Amino acid sequence: MKVAVFPPNSLILADLIERKGHKPLVLQSEIRKKVVDAEIDSPPLNITEEDPIKGLKYAAIEVPSGVRGRMAIFGPLIDEAEAAIIMDEAPFGFGCIGCARTNELCVYYLRKKGIPTLELKYPVTRDETVEVVNKINTFLDQLEEENG
Amino acid sequence: MSPKGNPKGHDKEWSANDLPGDQKGEALDNCELECDVEDSETDDDNITRMIILSPHADISQSELVQKLHMMELPLTIKATCYGAIIHGKSEVVMEAIKKVRTIDPYNIFTKDRGFPPGDPRRCRGHRGAAREGYHQLEKEFRLLEYVGEALKKPRKVSIEEPQKVPIDTFREIAEENLSHKKSLDKSKTKDEG
Repeated sequence: MKVAVFPPNSLILADLIERKGHKPLVLQSEIRKKVVDAEIDSPPLNITEEDPIKGLKYAAIEVPSGVRGRMAIFGPLIDEAEAAIIMDEAPFGFGCIGCARTNELCVYYLRKKGIPTLELKYPVTRDETVEVVNKINTFLDQLEEENG
Repeated sequence: MSPKGNPKGHDKEWSANDLPGDQKGEALDNCELECDVEDSETDDDNITRMIILSPHADISQSELVQKLHMMELPLTIKATCYGAIIHGKSEVVMEAIKKVRTIDPYNIFTKDRGFPPGDPRRCRGHRGAAREGYHQLEKEFRLLEYVGEALKKPRKVSIEEPQKVPIDTFREIAEENLSHKKSLDKSKTKDEG
């Protein structure tokens, strides 16, 4: 199953999903499409004026272009998702995931989609981490049972 | 081991030797020694994966790179301070990942990466500062030993969120308790009388 993760570039979430035989929908695969093209229209990344237009599917015209541009990358991942794992209060906010409004919009779309969703709090201590890993594994096992 | 990375689309070949003195030292000290980085076709089928070792991993970064080389797969391998980066055809990369995981299944983690290894747009040796994703990796790296521990001893847990008690049920419980308390009080006064 294709499982969307939030934060979309999380190492722990992507790795745990892959271990259980599912496909994590990670941001890096979308970014790759933008950076390895032979022709780069707008260095360093291939972000063109087309991207904010694509983002209009997810955010209104009044929304800042940065949010729309980011949604042009996150949006297709959300559309593809068959399940989702959302980790709240993640302490990182760098690079592509550094926009709080985009993050809120992504989580909103994932919740609204009506797919099986697991919401967790970013772990800080040892006990919390063990609990979170067990919850993720249980959730992924349940997905497997439901979908064969 | 000559560090070079020249992703297609960039004419200038990058080398740590091209950097000014202080940056060169940093680039070499930060363990990002490129091993066997070669030019590769940047077609759609090529992918890049990061292999991250947990603090409790049985092998070191250099051993990991050695094992990757011993696989004799057509891959670009780069040694880093957290493990390694491998780049190549997706099926070859996934084969290498599968083999690497068997070395220490609970302490070797992998993650996709968008930029190819040694890309001057991201390589910190070239930029002179940590790349953006590094901060996040640093945060998650601290939890990897606990993640490995949890994977070693898996446990089924309930993922249901604890629900709030409905107001009617709460009233019933409260009334039951009150009536029980009243009956106890009555029996007490009877005994005393």
